[in-house]
Amino acid sequence: MKNNFLETGPSIKKHNKLTDWFLLDEDNKIKINSGKIDIGQHISSTLALICSKNTGVKYEQIEVNKLNTKFSPNEGKTASSLSASHSGTAIKAASIELKNQFFQYVLSKFDCKLDDIDFENGVAKKNESNEGISYWDFAKTEIYKNIVIKDIIEFDKYSINQNDNNQSIELKTIHKIVTGEYIFVHDLCFDNMLHARLIRPPNYYSRFIDIDKKILDKISKLDISFFVQGSFIAILSKDEFLVSKFLDIIKNSIKWKSTRNLSNKDTFTSIDQNEKDSLLVKDGGEAVFERIPVLKNFDGNSNYRSKTITFNRPYLMHGSIGPSAACAIFENNKYNIYTHSQGIYDLKSTLSKALVTSEENINLKYSPGSGCYGHNGADDVAFEAAFIAKSFPNKHILLKWTREDEHCWEPYGSASINKLTSTIDKKGEIIYWSHEVFSDTCMTRPSVSELYNFVSYKLLNDDFIKRKSTPKTAPHMGIHRNLDPIYNFKEKRLVKNLVHDLPLRTSALRTLGAFANVTALESFLDEMAQLANIDPFDFRLNHLDDKRGRDVLLDLRGQMSLDKEKQGCFRGIGFSRYKNLAAYCAVGIELSVTDDVEIDLLKAWISIDAGEVAYNDGIRFQAEGGLIQASSWCLYEEVKYDTHEIISKDWSNYKIIGFDNIPEIKTSVINRVGYPYLGVGEVVAGPTGGAISNALCNALGQRIKTMPYTKDNIMKELLN
Amino acid sequence: MKKIKCKFNINGNHKDLLIYEEKPLIYVIRDDYNLKGTKLGCGLEQCGSCAVIIDGEKKLSCNILAKDCVSSKITTIEGLSSNDNLNKVQDSFKKYNAAQCGYCTSGIIISLSALFNKNSKPSKKDILKSLEGQLCRCGSHSAVFKAIENLMKSN
Repeated sequence: MKNNFLETGPSIKKHNKLTDWFLLDEDNKIKINSGKIDIGQHISSTLALICSKNTGVKYEQIEVNKLNTKFSPNEGKTASSLSASHSGTAIKAASIELKNQFFQYVLSKFDCKLDDIDFENGVAKKNESNEGISYWDFAKTEIYKNIVIKDIIEFDKYSINQNDNNQSIELKTIHKIVTGEYIFVHDLCFDNMLHARLIRPPNYYSRFIDIDKKILDKISKLDISFFVQGSFIAILSKDEFLVSKFLDIIKNSIKWKSTRNLSNKDTFTSIDQNEKDSLLVKDGGEAVFERIPVLKNFDGNSNYRSKTITFNRPYLMHGSIGPSAACAIFENNKYNIYTHSQGIYDLKSTLSKALVTSEENINLKYSPGSGCYGHNGADDVAFEAAFIAKSFPNKHILLKWTREDEHCWEPYGSASINKLTSTIDKKGEIIYWSHEVFSDTCMTRPSVSELYNFVSYKLLNDDFIKRKSTPKTAPHMGIHRNLDPIYNFKEKRLVKNLVHDLPLRTSALRTLGAFANVTALESFLDEMAQLANIDPFDFRLNHLDDKRGRDVLLDLRGQMSLDKEKQGCFRGIGFSRYKNLAAYCAVGIELSVTDDVEIDLLKAWISIDAGEVAYNDGIRFQAEGGLIQASSWCLYEEVKYDTHEIISKDWSNYKIIGFDNIPEIKTSVINRVGYPYLGVGEVVAGPTGGAISNALCNALGQRIKTMPYTKDNIMKELLN
Repeated sequence: MKKIKCKFNINGNHKDLLIYEEKPLIYVIRDDYNLKGTKLGCGLEQCGSCAVIIDGEKKLSCNILAKDCVSSKITTIEGLSSNDNLNKVQDSFKKYNAAQCGYCTSGIIISLSALFNKNSKPSKKDILKSLEGQLCRCGSHSAVFKAIENLMKSN
């Protein structure tokens, strides 16, 4: 943004007609079409607030339509913390353009100056006259219908009587949520609808052999349908209870043949030993196939001191509370699919290829799912529901994954190893920084060229091949996200290692590689600060030129200094700028460790700069939610498996944080008026990991290098 | 698979139903009563999404047999309010926007409603006890605590 001009951003580049974004077909209402979906980040409320502020129409009069591929703009995925920066910027641009064009029209109609106009809630009146023109009158004109939003627009051309930025809003969804009326995809209900469940094999590599025919006879008497193709199996009934009841009975009557084991080695041995592609990560975060420099050794030089450390992060699951679900109907050779996928337009083209039909024959509608933190089972289940629907035409098929499906078949967040070496000089300045990350891919969303990324596409085709991923090279993409530190280290050696043939299915989980990379980086910075005998805040500030970054660190330091540290409580900090180009965040954690080696999270402080604040509470909710989820990853979470199957089949084998260990959180949001909106869904996780690791190190006097920080893992390291 | 006749009282709405003997309460609530606010999360009594109030106590409806609830007064999230008059817990959650995706929220509101119905000034320990087993993945916990704090002040 420069002066009074707004760069309207990538979404407007693709959809530049005002009518792509707004529908003014009902008096006193603005209906927004967005290409982003509400996945717990309250984007619809944020968009309505942006629209209200920039059109002068009351927030309550603004609605946000759910994404529908028939009419919504294609804004790509609702991912990567881009909802506010893409759709928010687009709605801001559309709102400003509506207002600009409206006033131009009004002034010409009234043949007067701006000072002669009274404007309130979308209606302009000529002073001391009852004659008025509203946005909704204007929307009936040809001028409105043909408005094209340019790449750069003037944003305060007609800044009269704008709504002040009232932040005390009621979320668009909240009333229905608290009364139980908010409809999730799981709750859809249609005449003659069939409820479906899947019968999953014991693992990714099991082939369906046979089923006990007596069971088939029994279920057919209860009007339960059995559907099998390849090793993809489903059961369907009008009665949801029946499919649920017979699931395990049918499962136990099926013979499978395993074509291979998951793994014979533990996760970190596999990561260490398996074949890998190694890429150099350059300044700016791009990964390239270039010679990897040998690790420097400063031993023997008394001017320098060095340290080396290795961190391990296990597989993590998305673990949505409601399992993935979709509803599909096939009628008149067309599919109508209700989905909670993050990438609905991408899914449409991919489904077209997978279902062997043209895109015109597929319509996708967003229907809310349980919280989404990346590529979970939503795409899979949409494909599965649609595939089944073809065999049961003219009936809605509501397919829900079970808890076990969700726990065992979702694409996990990749496990990783981070190896760091650093050297400081006598002044305590880092003169050398090496950071190598070893991990599996974070990018296996289904696409037209990778249909096998639908887990059931493989089962349908009895395809048990484990394919090699190709390393992604774009800046901060996947494994090497935030590997390039924002700090001004003199010499860096950054290496991304894509490890092959790892045991579990993986893809995008909130932050991709950034959580592990930032946690490792920020933990190691404290180690180096200790080596230099410099305060961790000062040590970071000494290596940070970025003013906005320095400001969040200074803000955090100020916040934390207001709360006196109690005896027996220990603090740590972490900092990051997401992808080195999005929001800034610094986190402080205070914790204690019980005699039974359990970690109690006591206090947390967040300082965040996400550009101009569109909705303060929206940023706070996302930031605090991110901190809580990342705390859970640090303290409790690990997907367990053996040679044959996933062991973490439900919540008893995959613990997540509960209400009993939530710290008191204080969040400070720095408002950068006039700066672009930046998303905050992911930026908090890495700094939280660093802060917890550092606080724990201060509590124990020793760095714990393997997550989760359970009693077992802590004791193993303390006793080593 | 035997079917039996059962009489239910859910949110004051009495119904005679012919149900499978082994049918868990959640399917009666969601399918026979068409009350979709009670959520199926795990079906294993581990996540709390399916919480309802049975005779004043919070219970998880995913595994409890419907036939065992015939003489009980069952309240679901929809039964906590009438004609948009929210109960105190709902009202506070609404005021503090205490939800993210919202899938777990009705179970949490039910748990707290059961608690506050019995004790208008519960201790922190009581509150944490009532929220035991209520899982939230989005991290709405801090907003939930703010709503509870407000509730305590207003009581």
